Amino acid sequence: MNSVVMIRFLGVLSLICGMLIVGVNIVTHGRIQINQETILRESLIQLLPGMDHQTVYVIEPSGELAVHTGGETTAKRLFAGYDKGGKLLGVVLEANERGYADIISAMYAYSPSAKTVTGFTVVEMRETPGLGNKIGTDPDFLANFKALDASHPITAVKHGTKKNPWEIDAISGATISSRAVGRLLANSIREMEPVIQRNKERIERGN
Amino acid sequence: MSTTTTPPNPFLNGLWRQNPTFVQILGMCPTLAITNSVRNAIAMGLATAFVLVISNGLIAAIRKHVPKQVRIATYIAIIATAVTVTDYLVKAISIPVYKALGPFIPLIVANCLVLERAEAFAAKKPVIPSMMDGAGMGLGFAFGLTCLGTVREVLGAGTFLSIPLFGPNFEPWVLFLLPPGGFISLAIWLLVFATFRERKQRQLQAGLTEIQPAEVRS
Repeated sequence: MNSVVMIRFLGVLSLICGMLIVGVNIVTHGRIQINQETILRESLIQLLPGMDHQTVYVIEPSGELAVHTGGETTAKRLFAGYDKGGKLLGVVLEANERGYADIISAMYAYSPSAKTVTGFTVVEMRETPGLGNKIGTDPDFLANFKALDASHPITAVKHGTKKNPWEIDAISGATISSRAVGRLLANSIREMEPVIQRNKERIERGN
Repeated sequence: MSTTTTPPNPFLNGLWRQNPTFVQILGMCPTLAITNSVRNAIAMGLATAFVLVISNGLIAAIRKHVPKQVRIATYIAIIATAVTVTDYLVKAISIPVYKALGPFIPLIVANCLVLERAEAFAAKKPVIPSMMDGAGMGLGFAFGLTCLGTVREVLGAGTFLSIPLFGPNFEPWVLFLLPPGGFISLAIWLLVFATFRERKQRQLQAGLTEIQPAEVRS
């Protein structure tokens, strides 16, 4: 067996494998995008109950909003959700923060008029199963975000010591992950609140 | 060491006699990492079974044309292709399945069980038995992961398939959800299966010595 045969074999094999992957990609690309939009829409409706339609904005580096027309983007997005009559229900923001194991990436609902966080959901995390990953599932913890005052910097406090409306009651045994959620919200709101207030009328109109 | 005369059925062979988790002790990385809940264990097991059937089938189909020196590279390329295609298909076909399996599918490439079945079985046998072997090994792997997942979820979270078992006063034994719990429950299961096998072998030997004198007399 000489090396020409081996090289020819591997060349043909990689060509076939590559073509197969590209072919499947072309066939499934459209459907995958539709599915991803469905998943996104589901989490938006979960965060803003009663939402009928949404406008997607991207936040430009200058801090300005631009209506997102579709396709992939690496910029942070702001989703404005409206009810059937076109009234603004709230905005949903994407945010990341270093957790215990890795970056926690999350989405939260924010009411620009009441300056309140009204919902929170984890998009991706690698927190310890059984401890840290409760930040995505624990009903008592998620109840913190039904109406969390955001006019004051949000902080997470030790389990059972929540006194003020801007405090998050941490999960016992998952204090580091809970604190990370507190920082995630506080940093994102500090950064985004001026952008939202500057563009408040535009977001309400949805253009 | 095996005294069977008939060649074992490739499907049942993987499911029980050569079970990848408890007998061959292969694919330990997913076995320890993904078994902190029953749902994850089943999802990972079934995804691996699917990839095993495809990769074993493809490798058996081209086995006569593969130059011996580059066979491992060939298997890896085919396995990686099978995993990537599976990933795209699951993403496109079903949202619920993707939500359950999504993060696990790319990990299958790194499972040495898939490569081992290609080298040990699919490279020497025709397509249909190879696919049967893939299905048997894959389901055997799923069974092994589910065994581990059950112990870990029941003790570590007090639930089975997210259904609470013990009521609100149960204090979960969180150790079992953490990596050490994976090793401990694997050790428990290996002990159970080794004991079971040993007892069966002893019975077999005892049976043989009883039969032999009778045969001599006749």
